[in-house]
This record gives sequence, C-alpha cells and structure tokens, in this order.
Amino acid sequence: MKFKKKIASRIRQFREEMDLPQLELAKLVGVSRQTIYYLERGSYNPSLTISFKISEILKKPIHEIFYQEPIIKDILEGKSLSELRVVAEVAGLNLEKLASLSEMDDEQLTKAFKEETITKIAIALGAEFEDLFENL
Amino acid sequence: MIYTDGMENNVEVPMEVIYLVFIIVYGIFGALIVLTYIYNTAYIKNFTYKISEDHIIINHGVLTKIRATIPYSRIQNINIVNGVFDRMFKTFTVKIETAGSSAAAASAQRGHIRPEGYIPGLKDPHIIEKKIKEMMTKYSAVPSGLEDKIFKPEELAFDNFISYILSKMREGEKLKTSITELREKANLSAPQLAEKVGVPVQTINYLAEGRYNPSLALAYKIAEVLQCKIEDLFKLV
Repeated sequence: MKFKKKIASRIRQFREEMDLPQLELAKLVGVSRQTIYYLERGSYNPSLTISFKISEILKKPIHEIFYQEPIIKDILEGKSLSELRVVAEVAGLNLEKLASLSEMDDEQLTKAFKEETITKIAIALGAEFEDLFENL
Repeated sequence: MIYTDGMENNVEVPMEVIYLVFIIVYGIFGALIVLTYIYNTAYIKNFTYKISEDHIIINHGVLTKIRATIPYSRIQNINIVNGVFDRMFKTFTVKIETAGSSAAAASAQRGHIRPEGYIPGLKDPHIIEKKIKEMMTKYSAVPSGLEDKIFKPEELAFDNFISYILSKMREGEKLKTSITELREKANLSAPQLAEKVGVPVQTINYLAEGRYNPSLALAYKIAEVLQCKIEDLFKLV
C-alpha cells in the first residue's frame, strides 16, 4: 500500500526570500500569474520544462522546490478538530491513530494499517481508496 | 364511342416547322458550346494561385471575381484528384480542404460543392503538395498564449491531456534524458519500468527519444523507481 501523492512546492517561501513578486516570477518563467498561484497552492502538476525553468530562476534544485506530499495529509490538515473526531469515529479509530497518518511514510503505512481500515478512512473523508492511496 | 389509335389521328406537320425546330435546337447547342468556350477561356485567364509565406491565395471567377485566402493553419488535408477529364489531358486537380465551412457552404449554395482551395489542371501536383505541406508544418505551431493555459484542479485530467498534446507539439525545447542508461543500470526493461511507474510503455519510449515533456509528477515517479534525482534523469538543453 502506498500514499497517493501530489506535487507540493516551496515556491512561495523561496520567492519571498528573493523578494520576487508572483507576477515577476511568472514573467521570468514565461507563464501566467495563475500558474504560479496554482503551483504555490499545490494544485497543479507542472511540466518538467517549467519545473526546470523555475529551479533555474530560484537557484534551487528541483527536489528542494517541489516535493511529493500525500494527498491525505493535505486533507487532514484542512480539517478542524471536531471534524477529525467525526472522521475517526466513522472509521472506527481513535483520534491519535488517525492523526498519525499524516506523519507516516509508505512503509509505516503498510505496517500500521490494514487495507479495510484505510478504505474506511477514505470513505469517512468522503473519498475513495483510489483517490488517496495506491495498491501495489 | 369510337376508339382510334394515334396513327389515324396524325396531324400533318409542315416541313418548315420541323426545320425551324431543328435550327433552334442546334442553335441553342451551338450557342452553349461557344459560351462555355468563352467562359472557360476567361476562367483559365483569370485563374491564378500563389503560395505565400503564411497563406495560399487563389484568384478565380469570371463574372464574380473571388480571391480566396487560405491560412496554412486551417488546412486539413490535401487531395490530389485525377478524374476522367484530367486523365485525358494528363493533368491533376489539387483540392485543399480546410477546417472552415463558410466558403464550402457558400459555394454549395451556389450549386457547386467545391473545397475552398481548388487548383485544377496541374501537370505535376506533387511539387505544390510538398510546398504546402512544408508550409503547414512551419505554421501549425501552438498558438501563443495557450502553452501554459491553466485549468481548474478538477479539470486536471483535461489539463494533462492538453499539456500532453502541447508538449508533443512543442519543438526545440527538448529535454536531454539519461532514462535508458539509468534503466539499464537498474536492470529493468522498458516494459518493466513502464509497469512499475504505471504508464504505457510508449510513454517511456517517447521519453527516451526526447519527444515528450513529462509532468513533474511523472518525472518523480520514474526517479523514485530508478532511485535517482530528477536532475540526473533529465536535463534542459
């Protein structure tokens, strides 16, 4: 079992360190400002050539700017404590165990959770297994 | 009641009337032939075509003069027709079909269904075909501004599809890749790698040939499988 991941980025952090406005960076890369906005929000999977250009401008290697993050981590972090309690209850877990999900890597996931539990969590979050996890 | 057949009822027609009818009929035919001859001579005289930098210009028409301008970006296909009359005179007709329907619809209304680009009577159509195709590849580039068009996250599948096509169409901006070397080092065949990454084997092949600009997520997956950095896998030339 594996976490399904998405591309998250530290563009905003590096850009602010360089004192570079969003629009300026967009112009330098040759994309629209929206592209940078979506990239910073982590809701866009850029092409490799754009990634290379950004890495060149920000003077950082690609793996420092962009990293893969489990989708479920983002979802769990966006929920309030009371919402998390409900999710944990529906999935039949205690809150600590549910929260530990966002700190795990793929190996720990396989050890700590059964597939049924994972499916239950996905359903409790209003998603499906395939949206958040991958089967090997 | 008396039944009669046609023979008995025959009315005598004077010979002069028969001659007159013949003369009128032949006269009309003759006039038609002469008119057609004049029309077609004028048509040939007026017909010109020019293959310019960004479009084909065809001038034709006798009474109504038409100047058709066809941009290369709108050309869909080029047909070379060798019809019965063409074969008699050992010529060819080149038909250029376009994406636009206005001109075709307009000419269909006037009774002839002809494509926008219609160049008849060519001795060697392949020269013009080659020339047009050359221009087409030159001018069918991605419209500027669309390369980085962003869609909403829920449209990502569509976005990926578009970026796939755009990246395939994009030229010059090539990535240098050492995917084949790293794959062989990891003792994997192309199909094995494709399966581990979860993409069709063609994607791996396109990548190895440098004909495909992958998404970062795909690049990460491959780097993960081959246990290397993205920078080791790809370089921007």
